[in-house]
Amino acid sequence: MSCKIRYILLFTIPALSLYTLFVIYPFGYSLFLSFFKWSGAGPKLFVGLDNFKSILFGRMSQEFINALLHNFYFFARNALCELGVAFLIAIVLASRIWGQRFFRTIVYLPNVISMVLVGFIWVMMLNPQWGLINQVLKAVGLKHLAQPWLGQPKTALTTVILVNVWRNIGFYILVFLAAIIGIPNDIFDAAYIDGAKNWRVIWKIIFPMTFSTFQTLLILIFIWSFNIFDVVYSLAGVQAGPVRSTDVLGTVFYRTAFGGLGSSGQDYGLGAAIVVLIFLMVIPLSMIYALMMDRRKRVE
Amino acid sequence: MKQLVFVVLCFALFFSLVSAKTVEIWSWRTQDAEVWQVVQKNLRAKGEDITIDFRAFIPTEYDAKLFLALQGGTGPDIAYIRRLPGGRTQALVEGKLIKPLDQAIDFSNFSESVQKNVTMDARLWGVPFAVQVCGIFYNEDIFKENKLSEPRTWDEMLEICKVLKAKGIDPFFCTAKEDWTLTMQHAMCGVSILGPAWIKRLTEGKVDFLDQDWIYLQTLLNDLKVYYQDGYMGNDTNDMNAAFAFGQAAMVFYGAWGYQTWKELNPDINVGYFMVPPDWEGDNAYAYIYMDGAFSLTSIAKNPTDAMKVLKYTATPEFGTIFTGITANIPAVNGAIMPDIPLLKEVMDAGANWASPYVYWVGSPFVVQQPSLYDGVLSPGMQAMYMGQITPTELAQRAQDALSQWYKPLMRKLGKIK
Repeated sequence: MSCKIRYILLFTIPALSLYTLFVIYPFGYSLFLSFFKWSGAGPKLFVGLDNFKSILFGRMSQEFINALLHNFYFFARNALCELGVAFLIAIVLASRIWGQRFFRTIVYLPNVISMVLVGFIWVMMLNPQWGLINQVLKAVGLKHLAQPWLGQPKTALTTVILVNVWRNIGFYILVFLAAIIGIPNDIFDAAYIDGAKNWRVIWKIIFPMTFSTFQTLLILIFIWSFNIFDVVYSLAGVQAGPVRSTDVLGTVFYRTAFGGLGSSGQDYGLGAAIVVLIFLMVIPLSMIYALMMDRRKRVE
Repeated sequence: MKQLVFVVLCFALFFSLVSAKTVEIWSWRTQDAEVWQVVQKNLRAKGEDITIDFRAFIPTEYDAKLFLALQGGTGPDIAYIRRLPGGRTQALVEGKLIKPLDQAIDFSNFSESVQKNVTMDARLWGVPFAVQVCGIFYNEDIFKENKLSEPRTWDEMLEICKVLKAKGIDPFFCTAKEDWTLTMQHAMCGVSILGPAWIKRLTEGKVDFLDQDWIYLQTLLNDLKVYYQDGYMGNDTNDMNAAFAFGQAAMVFYGAWGYQTWKELNPDINVGYFMVPPDWEGDNAYAYIYMDGAFSLTSIAKNPTDAMKVLKYTATPEFGTIFTGITANIPAVNGAIMPDIPLLKEVMDAGANWASPYVYWVGSPFVVQQPSLYDGVLSPGMQAMYMGQITPTELAQRAQDALSQWYKPLMRKLGKIK
């Protein structure tokens, strides 16, 4: 047994070292830094829990809560659009339609484009004056619908979410597709022989049998929604405008830790405290996810 | 024999490359790359075997990258630093990450007002490189076609807007998506509408942000939005550069640094400049000018001797000539030969004769702490006002609430401290 432990240690040391270097150390250091006031240069000033107090109840509370609510909104909309639409498209792609293989490939294409490029493309498409979206709306007689999509609070965040959905939906479609294809054909045959209609097959067979996939993806969307940054950054910038209407915890952290375009100070301690709070919010669901995966493996 | 010559030449080339000493420079200004190529060439022509390795980073990430690199003992020999007073450069000085230059470099080619922007604790911490002038830039051809001339008062400017709008031309192209441009607009209008004397009183805590003059300025700006292009809340400076360069809008509130881009996009464009006109005829118009930044010697410089040679060169009029010739920015150093660009001369004259000595945007004491008047109040606040979410008075109240948390003269005025 002692020999086994030695081997286990030997083989896990490389992975463990990397994990410690790139995950445990940065997080530990962030946790340490969250108790200090530090502009990035000079000595660190120990402030205890002041950073957390400032974020939750002090001068940053309004900004933090605003961003936090946006993260929840992001999660809700994202989950609805990505899971709902991806599920329906996956059903279509699982059935025997013409060009099935072609469509299966093409739905994943946006996923391979980097988010910076996606942001660049969509900023141009959404330009109020010469963007494709408004031009098309004007061309088909819907001029009244043409608007600055990213330039007004009532549409900006939803637009950002829809761009995110456009980019990521391919992944969810493929996951659902794999789950649907994994359902034995006998079950479908039996259902159709018994006279079941398509909608009943979807509701009574496909949905229950892919429910665990829904659960898994929902948790992943929650975790990713709280880590969201790049799509907001590339579409709305570091100030997450207009009027912070697209602000999420990631952009609040970025502005706080790295500073914006103003000449005001920046504070790594405050930024680190935001990271710790994000971690505390995400970790319970991450653990549930890990437990679920573990239980599924055991069942299999 | 031929092979031997070839090998010797290869060795000579290799050793010449290896022996050339490298000076690494970090910046947030991508447009300066060509400047450093020319500087390297000129220094080599003077017998200095120096290679300049210039690296530019995203402006919003630059300071963080520089801090972390210097703190970790890596990073450049020369770093671009922001003006003083300002939290970021103060932190570099206090952290001993950059070195004072006043005993090694001759600063006689820089005016006192420029030197003030790199001075802390009676030491000079950088070689200033550019002075930026803000104001209203207009398309001269559109003005000529419509028989318009530069306005002397705010009302005359509104008349111009009416004429242009009636002819289907967007009078102003506003870039409200990038909220910092709205603060810049507020600040450049403030120096002419409020005047330096009023801003001096604000700085000293003799008036506050709820003063009627401040609210009036915000009302004027709020009323001006009817002359912006449709959908202006969704436009950024890239859109503005294209729209202005190709004549889709007649005027922009911007800085002299935009000229280089407009000319690159449309070499035929003729650009004029005027300072934001005052509210009353007879009052003076003022230009908002600020020192953009400086080159500083880092304390971890790997090649300080050559870095110092480069820095000494940047303090000469010769460097100023190169800098302005390539970037069309106004050099901070005196005595540079300016390119033959009428606009640049006009902007320089405005900067030299009508610069407001008191300001409340960059280079002012109102932006050195959080929540700052800049990105804490006016940037999001102006967006909110333009969208009708808040009134000019409510924006004034936001400024009052934010600055009264830390700006001592205001705190004193409000009786929060003695």
